[in-house]
Amino acid sequence: MKTMSNMNIYLQDISRGIVRDNPTFRLVLGMCPTLAVTVYLINGLGMGLSTAVVLICSNVVISALRRYIPDQVRIPCYIVIIATFVTVVEMLLKAFQPKLYAALGVFIPLIVVNCIILGRAEAFAGKKPVLRSLFDGIGIGLGFTVSLFILSALREVIGSGTFLADTAYAVHVFGESFEPMAVFSQPAGAFIALGLLLGLTNVIFKKLKID
Amino acid sequence: MRNILRLTLTLAAVSIFSAVILAVVNSWTEPIIAERQLQDYLESVRLYFPDVADFEEKELEGNLFDLVYDDSGNLIGVIGKNLEYSGYGGPVVYTLAVDQSAAIVGYNIVSHSETPGLGDIITKPEFHDRFVGKTLEELDTVDTVSGATVSTSAIIGAIRGMTEAIAKAFLDYEEEVIDITQVPDGTYRGEGTGLKPMAVEVTVEAGRIVKIEVVEQDETPTYFVLSYPLIADRIIETQSLDVDTATGATFSATGIVNCVKDALTKALEQGGGEESEDDE
Amino acid sequence: MEKLISIIFIYIFVENFVLQRFFGICPFLGVSRKMETAVGMSMAVVFVMTLATLVTWLAYTYVLVPLGLIYLQIVTFILVIAGLVQLVETVLRKISPTLYQGLGIFLPLITTNCAVLAVALLAVQNEFTLVEAVVFGIAAALGFSMALIIMAGIRERLELAKVPKALQGTAITLITAGILSLAFMGFKGMLTL
Repeated sequence: MKTMSNMNIYLQDISRGIVRDNPTFRLVLGMCPTLAVTVYLINGLGMGLSTAVVLICSNVVISALRRYIPDQVRIPCYIVIIATFVTVVEMLLKAFQPKLYAALGVFIPLIVVNCIILGRAEAFAGKKPVLRSLFDGIGIGLGFTVSLFILSALREVIGSGTFLADTAYAVHVFGESFEPMAVFSQPAGAFIALGLLLGLTNVIFKKLKID
Repeated sequence: MRNILRLTLTLAAVSIFSAVILAVVNSWTEPIIAERQLQDYLESVRLYFPDVADFEEKELEGNLFDLVYDDSGNLIGVIGKNLEYSGYGGPVVYTLAVDQSAAIVGYNIVSHSETPGLGDIITKPEFHDRFVGKTLEELDTVDTVSGATVSTSAIIGAIRGMTEAIAKAFLDYEEEVIDITQVPDGTYRGEGTGLKPMAVEVTVEAGRIVKIEVVEQDETPTYFVLSYPLIADRIIETQSLDVDTATGATFSATGIVNCVKDALTKALEQGGGEESEDDE
Repeated sequence: MEKLISIIFIYIFVENFVLQRFFGICPFLGVSRKMETAVGMSMAVVFVMTLATLVTWLAYTYVLVPLGLIYLQIVTFILVIAGLVQLVETVLRKISPTLYQGLGIFLPLITTNCAVLAVALLAVQNEFTLVEAVVFGIAAALGFSMALIIMAGIRERLELAKVPKALQGTAITLITAGILSLAFMGFKGMLTL
């Protein structure tokens, strides 16, 4: 019975991260990479997953060390731990996914200052047990990835007329002759698309009475 | 006091732990990254030399060159990387590929600030293809483009100078030796290209070069000052065109030597005796 | 000199850190509600960013590169920035309590302002010299400040406008930023380094 309720808590942690505490659409955190790398779906997904990996690892380590880190130096310690994982992810991408590495550029090291990660460390991992922090990391990480997926899919389809460009599954959604609305692959389009999506989530959440 | 010690120790421990992890991961990924970059580079070399199997980096005058070898270890060409000359709008950085007979295989403009629509023709295939297959001697026949004369003559001059430098340094390039003693007395005008086109007048008396005067040039002043007196003295002193062009301004120096060579070649062809007319 | 002037122009207008490069969006959205806070944040950012570029450039060139520790770049840079912010805060409180009153609350926020880390990383990546790097830091910070202050001006007026309910708050701010960014696209391609 006890394991059953534990399971439930963990599942709740995950679903909360994706829907109610969705970092992009609900908490409006980590906006820089959200706007910058979502020109193509593959880049958005790559960024989402990289961030999720860093978040999960840092959540677990910070939670495991939470009793040993004195309160006054917790922020520098968190930052070092996060930066370590970011560097590891950067090295791995450079070695095994050089194209994605080149496309994401300076936004990979900038995962360090993604407020989602430090925010979760402060609000959750620094206080809660390891397993729950793990699931919280998975949930929020997935939520971030899903958000980037939606935004980059929208921007790629409208802005470039393609879906999953640069991969084996590339499709021209509206056919080759479609003249895409190029502004959506420009920075201006990123702001506008995200603004409209935020509006849309506001409406949906209100209709579903989630808050 | 104890508290501060504890804070410092914690932070230090976390930092050291982090450094160790990163060092380990780095030592694992570093060779993989290096290997991948090597493969990427080989791929780009293959565009010029499909038979590339290996290359060796050499430095010459501050520029980096890759000597390209095929399977059996024969030198099949040379690639100059991140070479630079000054074009119309500013510095132009380019890559130059020359095969083992000193003929141009191709070039690639890495960055430039030539005028869009005019000078940027140097980046276009129609202009690039004028060079392909041209040997060092034939490079003088590459035409400039009107409307972009400065941009195009700058790149022609730069490629010619660079090809010559490559040919001399890496390709055992043999040039005709001019027998100065056969040149009749007189003053001869010769043209050539340093950084920009230039012309000299050479005075020969009794089979010896006695005076070299640069009459037209548009070199960077500092480079010109470095090269001109030195090179003229060296030629007169040794009575040979095979002088050391290392002056800190190799292009200008090579340009002067080429002008002198041009003047003497013309003098021999014409059978001599004819004085070149002064412009004054 | 020419290069320095291009750097200033490019990073204020052409490659504006907020509107074209998406660095520092969080404070851009967070503190642009009132002109007063926007100006305070801007001053703090100019101050810290210039200092951070200087120190990280020195750390990279004279410590990390000679020791072959480039892979510690991210950890070092973020620690330097965090330390620097802390230092500025402490010094400011001692030396000029009035200025601290104005900037103090923004300083902790700057550590997680990705524009600061981005400037430090890009200065090294673009192989700038020390002077170029510092000028780059100042220009980027000024570009950030300009965007922030323009945005604050717009938002103060937006308070009075009737915004559709669903778009209220961050959504309308983002759309406004989009239109602002559209205007800045006019500078595109005017200058490159």
